[in-house]
Amino acid sequence: MEEKIICSMNGVAIYGIISICIFVAFFTGMLVWAFTKKASYLDKMGGLPLDSGEINSSANKTSNPK
Amino acid sequence: MNIETFKYDNRIVRAFAIATVVWGIVGMLVGLLAAVELFFPGANLNFQFITFGRIRPLHTNAVIFAFVGNGMFMGIYYSLQRLCKARMFSDFLSWFNFWGWQLIIVAAAVTLPLGFTTSKEYAELEWPIKVAIAVVWVAFAVNLFGTIVKRREKHMYVAIWFFISTAITITVLHVTNSMTMPAGLFKSYSMYAGVQDALVQWWYGHNAVAFFLTTPYLGLMYYFLPKAAGRPVFSYRLSIIHFWALVFLYIWAGPHHLLYTALPDWAQSLGMVFSLMLIAPSWGGMLNGLLTLRGAWDKVRQDPVLKFMVAAVTAYGMSTLEGPLMSIKTVNSLSHYTDWTIAHAHGGALGWNGFLTFSMLYYLFPRLYKTQLWSTKLANYHFWIGMLGIIFYIVPIYVAGITEGLMWKQFNKDGFLQYPNFLESIVQVVPMFRLRAIGGTLYLVGAFLMAYNLYRTAKAGQFEPDTEAQAPALEKTSEAPDGKYAFHRLLEGKPMFFTVLAIVAILVGGMVEIIPMFLIQANVPTIASVKPYTPLEVLGRDIYIREGCLGCHSQMIRPFRSETERYGDYSKAGEYVYDHPFLWGSERKGPDLAREGGRYPNAWHFNHMDNPRATSPGSIMPQYSWLLTQQMDREALPARLAALRRVGVPYPAGFENGPAQKDLDAQAAKVVADLKLGSVTCAPDKEIVALIAYLQRLGTDIKSAPVTTAAK
Repeated sequence: MEEKIICSMNGVAIYGIISICIFVAFFTGMLVWAFTKKASYLDKMGGLPLDSGEINSSANKTSNPK
Repeated sequence: MNIETFKYDNRIVRAFAIATVVWGIVGMLVGLLAAVELFFPGANLNFQFITFGRIRPLHTNAVIFAFVGNGMFMGIYYSLQRLCKARMFSDFLSWFNFWGWQLIIVAAAVTLPLGFTTSKEYAELEWPIKVAIAVVWVAFAVNLFGTIVKRREKHMYVAIWFFISTAITITVLHVTNSMTMPAGLFKSYSMYAGVQDALVQWWYGHNAVAFFLTTPYLGLMYYFLPKAAGRPVFSYRLSIIHFWALVFLYIWAGPHHLLYTALPDWAQSLGMVFSLMLIAPSWGGMLNGLLTLRGAWDKVRQDPVLKFMVAAVTAYGMSTLEGPLMSIKTVNSLSHYTDWTIAHAHGGALGWNGFLTFSMLYYLFPRLYKTQLWSTKLANYHFWIGMLGIIFYIVPIYVAGITEGLMWKQFNKDGFLQYPNFLESIVQVVPMFRLRAIGGTLYLVGAFLMAYNLYRTAKAGQFEPDTEAQAPALEKTSEAPDGKYAFHRLLEGKPMFFTVLAIVAILVGGMVEIIPMFLIQANVPTIASVKPYTPLEVLGRDIYIREGCLGCHSQMIRPFRSETERYGDYSKAGEYVYDHPFLWGSERKGPDLAREGGRYPNAWHFNHMDNPRATSPGSIMPQYSWLLTQQMDREALPARLAALRRVGVPYPAGFENGPAQKDLDAQAAKVVADLKLGSVTCAPDKEIVALIAYLQRLGTDIKSAPVTTAAK
């Protein structure tokens, strides 16, 4: 039954080929992009949440030993 | 440098935080009731509005959209402002988002127990509420993008990318899966039928998990974990890879919910392969989170916020390893339709979403109220009670799931089913259901402790409605206060370019899978003997949907000998061409019903619905005695038949005005006459008559003429 569906679809193999091509292209591009980022940029980005710009921020003084 | 002073909006964060706690407790309470009904079917007190079938979707919707949804908005409204160094784009939109979302939740809490449901899992709400969801969601998205556009921080932190992918993808998923044809104010039929409906639904269902329960929470993890630990994320590079790999891969994996069904094999295999690949980015993300705490593990011992976070991230890792393993077809052949799936879902929900939400609440309340947490000790108790709750919930359900799967498949030495009566497998696991309820109770107790702790924290502190902050203005923003350059910046800003890329990455998987499924419409083998449902059967099917029968009964026989021996010939795609919506189900607490027609006499069904334990001792099915007294909704029939014709069911023109009523009367009279032979007296206008007609039709078309012809 499943074979019948596959056989009756014209050129169904193309979807597999398209999938693998998109997959390889996407991941190659993404990895190249990620690994060519400079360390200074990555450090700056990683630190973003720690600077919220709040005035009189009472960071990390919110635990009560009670 | 022009330093600007501005204010973060804490009111909206507090509103969502309170809603998170309240709806969380409500959702868990409903879940507990559902859990109790599984071993004590009388727990609904024969009250139709709280039967298992109706409150199961209420529980899932409450936990996903009310608890996690509000938690997500809470976290996003807090972190986005601080990451963008800007107040939310529009206070009006913020509050529109808040009140709109709460109204939707209330509407769901009213309509689902009333039985207004589309039956599509996690998308059960009827069309007017779906429209409201779209409007509120768009308001949220506009507020999100507006804030990003007016930000003072040049770069967009990875958390914001996760938020963007959430906003975009949920819009696409919701709209695509909500394509329904209204047949009244609270009734509609899916535009898609059978196999296509199943694929679209599980493309949606899977990605609702991905982009509602996972991506926003990953964004929040990338914000709140470094904040709570006081150190940057372990590897920002890894977080980039995590994001892109995850959003690209996730969307392809939906068909793993339909393995061994009538869905074409190529789509199943694609779903399985991409699911396995998902392990890599998911574990990359988990490790990135855990390694952020390198050198700070002493803090985890002290700080309940970090405790909850570590457990949540670990649960994320476990769930995202287990999910792909369950997508392997051989594993799935055992796990599918069993309680294993429920255990998997709750590992993610209780561990990942629940614990991360708790950690955010413990983080936020002291900061919003400018005080310390009222009791760290109580928060620690919450952690351990919650942890025990998860274990007591999950472990018995794993045992139950595997027991069910093995019992369904077991043959004796003569080649017959070892447990031919489905009920045997349920009776076997009922003790596990009891244990599960204990686990759920523990988890709920923990949530109550948290609510009390947060309440006392709020009482002890002073709420700060706005937090003052300072940051240098971004160039161009200050040059064009009239927003002249806003759009320009949107285009030229590099992060926005990536947003476009994210949309492409997300959509490509859906297109490759779904487009061929629509092309297949002309190729699906049609079965000449499969005919549309009769008017009486349509009403019966609507009752089946209203009562949530598919919460426990599948209608999809997989091509295994253990299933064909038990239920009959395996299900064919062509049998479902008139099923708007498809009712394959995802869980069996009762036997499959795909070939239920003709299996039992009408009188058996009548007595079984009146009291399941009278015909099947030990059954955990609720009583449906109201079906015996309530009148079927004949007045709705013309609108329903017309709506079904509009979505492609070939009822002749004008059929609903007269001929359908005659047809209905004739078929109801036959059912009633047959009931009389079984010593049952019943008026022909009762709902039970329609339901029996529907159940007796199931799977019979193909039995009468099992000849399939491939279409041209």
